[in-house]
Amino acid sequence: MSRMKFYCDDYRCIDCNGCVVACKEAHEIPVGVNRRRVITINEGIEGKQKSLSVACMHCSDAPCQKVCPTDCFYIRTDGIVLHDKDKCIGCGYCLYACPFGAPQFGHEGIFGVKGVMDKCTFCAGGPDETLSESEFEHYGQNRIAEGKIPMCASMCSTKALIAGDASEVDKIYEYRMAKRGDTTSLKPYGWEAYNNGK
Amino acid sequence: MESKTFWECNKAYILTALGLGVVGFVFVGYLMIMDWGYLIQFTLHALIGDTSGVLTVPSSELEQMINAAFGSAYNSVAPEIIRASNERQEYIWYVFFAEILIFVFLYIKNGRVTPTITRPNDTVQVLTSFQRAVIWLNIGMISVLVLTGFNITWGLRSEGGDLPRILREFHELTGLAWIAVWLVFTVIAAKDMKGWRKNSTFRHFLPGSFKPSKRVIWFFYAAMGAALCFSGAMIITLHPSSLTHADVIQFRRVLLYLHFGASVLIMFFILDFVYASAVSVKGYLKGLWSGSYPREYLEQVAPDVLDDLKKAGRQ
Repeated sequence: MSRMKFYCDDYRCIDCNGCVVACKEAHEIPVGVNRRRVITINEGIEGKQKSLSVACMHCSDAPCQKVCPTDCFYIRTDGIVLHDKDKCIGCGYCLYACPFGAPQFGHEGIFGVKGVMDKCTFCAGGPDETLSESEFEHYGQNRIAEGKIPMCASMCSTKALIAGDASEVDKIYEYRMAKRGDTTSLKPYGWEAYNNGK
Repeated sequence: MESKTFWECNKAYILTALGLGVVGFVFVGYLMIMDWGYLIQFTLHALIGDTSGVLTVPSSELEQMINAAFGSAYNSVAPEIIRASNERQEYIWYVFFAEILIFVFLYIKNGRVTPTITRPNDTVQVLTSFQRAVIWLNIGMISVLVLTGFNITWGLRSEGGDLPRILREFHELTGLAWIAVWLVFTVIAAKDMKGWRKNSTFRHFLPGSFKPSKRVIWFFYAAMGAALCFSGAMIITLHPSSLTHADVIQFRRVLLYLHFGASVLIMFFILDFVYASAVSVKGYLKGLWSGSYPREYLEQVAPDVLDDLKKAGRQ
């Protein structure tokens, strides 16, 4: 069974934020909500600066699903974690449970309080009818249904961000590590963090 | 004058400490999966303004990246949030069921005090209009907060949707408004602090004096209310953007946990107050509305209120 995963190669990521812009533009995401973000450490220090593009990691054992009081999350057979915005009450518990800060909340509630949750869908839409107007309005594009990879990965100019079946992504990762002669590196960020509970 | 033993004087405090001690011991020792060492250190760091949760210098680039991207020490607090959230969904009603069982036992054992009123027109003005406004605002807001709070906790039963979402939004807004009402009520109900009245113009304290059992309720109302107001306000206002997430998420987790704990405790003691004021003793709801109580009612149920009003020259 395939499981869809993201991997961001911090050796290649150049903090261009192309993935963030591509995601926001493709799904018409409002200001203040970022399904994807780029984090940089040691900024300006030559040889030590590293960047990483982060979004929902579509965990196999998703903590957001465990904590949701309305049970609005579901995991597709290909491992993509999605949620039903018609069920979400915007309590924010998923944000506390998520190790990656993926859930996002706009301020569209009454008097500007937070509204329902929004997060990366791996460009797979949501529970509404596939490729319908309603699905686009709620969840953005459904590129997976169109046979395409997520917009962020497809737009990444250095191919730091890759997406697809976990075993294929892992092969690319191993290949890149071997080519660099890097035998000490840990597993990809995010995968390792969650598995080790760091 | 009849002398009281240590036990008689302090029964309410000892039983409360014992009850909370036993429940706390079972929870902390056998149910919770919180990293208490981390939590204590984190709280100390937060007190000096560092809410990131990074307690030690990262030892590797990986750790540094995790801290910057996701926030530190995920396993210290977050799993306990998940456990507690599920526990509240499934088992919180046991707390109130157990409390009601205690009340039933006390009711069967002690019965109900029902004052005899032969002169209903001989009344005493006990509450000012300001006090009544604060009391009713408090009752109304707490009722809304309890209902909308359970709406979140028991979302699995409503299965979510627009109405539960709007109720959740009302919970946040009502909570913000309640901060002022909680503060004013806490002050006017601080019957132990009436010494102020002689020296100042502050005349809005509720009349009467605390018995130990009611003093415990006031203390928990004040302390847990403070915890709820602080944590609630911070949770609403300290909302992280995608770029500030790592800096505040651990702090928000701890605040949510505080909110969980304080809400259960304040509910427990509010129910205790309702039992003590309206069930074990026949209440007088009309008086809460008009501010006037029959003199005989006060003589039999609350002589301390009558004494206090006499001292203040209000009757």
